[in-house]
Amino acid sequence: MSNIEKYNNIFVEVFGVEPSVLNDNFSKDTVDLWDSVHQLNLVSLAEETFDIMLDPEDIMGFTSYGKGKEIVRNQDIEL
Amino acid sequence: MAQNLKSLLDLDKRDPEAVAAIDSYGHVITYGDIKGLADSLRKNVKPRSLFFVLTKNDVGGIAWVIATILSGNVPLILNIHTENGLLEALLETYKPEFICAPEGEYDSHATPVVAEHGYRLFFTGNPPCKMHDDLSHLLPTSGSTGSPKLVRHKYSNIDAAGLNISTFFRLTDVDRPLMVLPLYYTMGLSMVFSHFKVGATVLITDLKMTDPGFWKFLKEQRATSFTGVPFSYEVLDKMRFSRMKLPDLTLLTQGGGKMPAELNLKFAEYCRDNGKRWVATYGQSEGTARMAWLPEEYAISKMGSIGIAVPNGQLTLRDSEGNIIEESPATGEMCYSGENVTMGYAKNREDLALGDERNGFLPTGDIAYRDADGFYFIKGRMGRFLKIFGNRIGLDECEQILKSHLSCECACTGTDTKLLVYLTSVSEKEVAISSLINAVKLPANVIEVRVIDSLPKNEAGKILYSKLKND
Repeated sequence: MSNIEKYNNIFVEVFGVEPSVLNDNFSKDTVDLWDSVHQLNLVSLAEETFDIMLDPEDIMGFTSYGKGKEIVRNQDIEL
Repeated sequence: MAQNLKSLLDLDKRDPEAVAAIDSYGHVITYGDIKGLADSLRKNVKPRSLFFVLTKNDVGGIAWVIATILSGNVPLILNIHTENGLLEALLETYKPEFICAPEGEYDSHATPVVAEHGYRLFFTGNPPCKMHDDLSHLLPTSGSTGSPKLVRHKYSNIDAAGLNISTFFRLTDVDRPLMVLPLYYTMGLSMVFSHFKVGATVLITDLKMTDPGFWKFLKEQRATSFTGVPFSYEVLDKMRFSRMKLPDLTLLTQGGGKMPAELNLKFAEYCRDNGKRWVATYGQSEGTARMAWLPEEYAISKMGSIGIAVPNGQLTLRDSEGNIIEESPATGEMCYSGENVTMGYAKNREDLALGDERNGFLPTGDIAYRDADGFYFIKGRMGRFLKIFGNRIGLDECEQILKSHLSCECACTGTDTKLLVYLTSVSEKEVAISSLINAVKLPANVIEVRVIDSLPKNEAGKILYSKLKND
């Protein structure tokens, strides 16, 4: 599985959606279900999937599909 | 009325200028403001009216909930974001005479009867409701699965919870608790009762703990205590809480289900090493929140225990025949006696006239082990529900939701970390997951679906849950 597939899979697992709906507009403001429980689950799965450790700022900043991507990329993961 | 309401929680003794609450929207209310609002309600509303108070976690929410109670009216306290279906079911079932909601959050063409502190009160035109003289307020039983069943509280529950909780936490008027738990949730509301009892200042917020504004509010307002459910502490841990400098924060309390042992130990040790108190508690809406607490000096030696009964309360165990078990150690159904035990449930408008059906005695439905020193440990539940991220998830209600979307058979079980769904058809898996996540608002990854040929049943056709693996 490629890294981007792995990244998409995190959202599929947390929100139960098809990968096709994922884009930069998929965010805290556009997804009703997106609350802090979901956000923390995204962060935990991202940490597990890519074997990284995110900072509090990153956890707070993980508020959209696009922002999450940037955060993961900043950990030297190619997406 | 059973008592003089003005002396509820000793609010008549408060300095009117003293600050009762501050919220993260930047608003402040005093104890005098709350009394003023209660006076205004007494003037403008016929006494003993049924209110729906739709709240945000802000100072207006606190003011309206407490003032409604003080004025002798009876609020059902709800989330402003209550799902439309549930809100409609509640409106249809209970037909409140008044609805109170934050400005701009609730459509009504009527002129507000009272408009203060960011909330507006509307008359619905519903006829008066016969309510018991002791009935003080109502809380929903389930935030997630949409049951219109309510818990009926009486005035003496408020005073008892205020006194018991402020006593064991040793609260005083200089305390500044940070309240992230919602007002319509029993533990959140009990924070207001216990801190108002001593004249403290409640710091209330709607902000998520993953929001930078939350941390700013906590630090700027110099919170002295934090109360959360296990999930709150998972967030605190993720946010590297132990590395933050928070000298004012000296009390951390936890309720709403059992903490994972590793996380519990982490916070217990952190508190011990940093001169802070770590207090686990146990409660239910049916007991006006807290019924047990684990004193901080036992946080590590009795880790995992819910501790002992709160002051003025008593915990007992009873066996399957209903006999009290005197010896320790022992295991049985945990029961609680005390003034904070609520009157009972309401399932319809007529039930609001009912009196006290419990007389101070509550079988909790939890199976507990009591060790030789008298400390209680929750071992399991008699009822069919889970507590995931602090949310009570009724398994029978989940099955009802599934049945309305599925054509195959289903059964729900699970643990406090996972909701497990058994289906008899693989093709309905996706529908099952999507209908559940929309109804109970859980992340999809804590819901696991397993497909089996048929559900194990007894001769009468009842599902045998004991034959289904729950993890």
